[in-house]
Amino acid sequence: MSIDDRQLEVLLEQSEDVHSDAMRQNRAALDDLVELGRDARAAGAEEPSPTSSPIQPTFVAGGLLAAAGLGAAFAALLATPAFAKSSKDVQILQTAASIENLAVATYQTALTLDFIGGASANPVVKAFAMKTMSQHTDHGMAFNAAVTQLGGKAQTQPDPVLLNVVNQAKPGLTGPGPVVDLAIELENGAAATYVKDVSALTSKDARNVTASIMGVEAQHVAILNAVKALLAGGAANLIALPPDVAQLPAAAGSVGFPDSFYKTDNARSATEGVTK
Amino acid sequence: MKPKDRNELPISERELDGMTADLADAHHETLPALHETLGAWEADTDDEPEGLLALTGVTASRRGFLLGTGALLCGAALVAAGGGRGATAFAAGLPSGTRSGRPQAQKLTGDLVVVALAASLENLAVATYQSGIQAAQAGHLGTVPAAVVTFATTAQSQHRDHAAAWNAVLTSAKKTKVTGVDLTVKNGVIDPAFAQVTDVTGLAKLALELENVAAATYLAAIGVVKNPAGIQTAATIEPVEEQHAAILNFVLGQYPVPNSFTPTTGARPTSDQIG
Repeated sequence: MSIDDRQLEVLLEQSEDVHSDAMRQNRAALDDLVELGRDARAAGAEEPSPTSSPIQPTFVAGGLLAAAGLGAAFAALLATPAFAKSSKDVQILQTAASIENLAVATYQTALTLDFIGGASANPVVKAFAMKTMSQHTDHGMAFNAAVTQLGGKAQTQPDPVLLNVVNQAKPGLTGPGPVVDLAIELENGAAATYVKDVSALTSKDARNVTASIMGVEAQHVAILNAVKALLAGGAANLIALPPDVAQLPAAAGSVGFPDSFYKTDNARSATEGVTK
Repeated sequence: MKPKDRNELPISERELDGMTADLADAHHETLPALHETLGAWEADTDDEPEGLLALTGVTASRRGFLLGTGALLCGAALVAAGGGRGATAFAAGLPSGTRSGRPQAQKLTGDLVVVALAASLENLAVATYQSGIQAAQAGHLGTVPAAVVTFATTAQSQHRDHAAAWNAVLTSAKKTKVTGVDLTVKNGVIDPAFAQVTDVTGLAKLALELENVAAATYLAAIGVVKNPAGIQTAATIEPVEEQHAAILNFVLGQYPVPNSFTPTTGARPTSDQIG
């Protein structure tokens, strides 16, 4: 296998540094959400349930409401538990969290398979699965932080419909190919859902958080598409970092991004993962 | 797995070509849905001043571009600065029937300013990939792997589709198409950098910068554009630029999905000159 494990570790460390920068930026959007809720409560709304999110936002000075153009009446409504339960934003965010929860669980399961997370695994595929699981964990935390700050209940359960898809697929996960196929289905479903829902979100900050995640899922899809093609062609040895670019077949250069515009056919219903 | 001869192409080119053809068909199936979105823009793009991205004066530089600190589209802060209402941008477009000469300036307001910026960035991407393809064909980049050629031609085609989508928004609003490029980025970043490109790796790095800037600009735009159809259009394009970036990272031997959350750093401002 043409893979330098040490180099891969360095790349992952660099990726962690970049990731930390991105987390700081994302937290700023969540901070704005917090400010929105805080102003709403100051306007007389009931206190929402305390957040259980591991992301602890900090309060910032200044009023976002004015900048966001929201009236105090709407802000107060936004923060009430009754509104939170029926809020379209909260429903979308809870469903998003449920999709992320399922993705984390699925990668966790996949990593117990020897050909994904064990001794016989391709090191790059294994590293990708681990890193991607970690990123989905971040996404789930971010969505739930947004949910709770809007007064909703954090979603800790997986998307029930997609869970059935995963359970049905499990017996067939006998090699890397079927696992990659399942991962593509989940990642594509996540990306399509966020692309479709982003314009429906009324909270600007919830929209920003969702938008900052949809591209990451699309990147997962791109890499998985490339891996799928190489596996299908019996070229697992080309799944390496750095790859032997000269040996990659021509079509491998485009198989990762099939559409000029991200399709939303596979988007999940916005209410599919709402908390019970 | 049995080790393969390094000189042997271990994957069926025909099989992958077939997959690519299927994917191309799938791509064209996405266009009708986009046209529906554009229809929604048509009803709501009458120079409305609300939702405008205000302008920030930022000079593009190679260093700022590379560091991702070139500029930010920042709606709330800029609205507070007073630039959010009635600000204008002058997008260069060729009047119908004119194929050369000085571009005619047109006044744009509201979300259309962002649309013009997006079109100019897409045009710049198309032009940059074209320059890269021509340099490769002329033998200036050394040996060019087949996968890189396919990447460049496919990504260029998709950027052309993106530009067409944004220009369709402009024409539906009775505005002139933007045929020019983001000159601020071209003159400040692309041209100097391209002059230093001597191989495929250098070209891939430059392409990665462009893709990251385009994606960041769309992400920033999603946060400030008012028109839901506009948000939706940007939302269908941003992930595709991110996919281009992922593959480029992979080709460059870098981890392909470095962020849990895509950043807006490096987003271009609507004050960029277009021409």
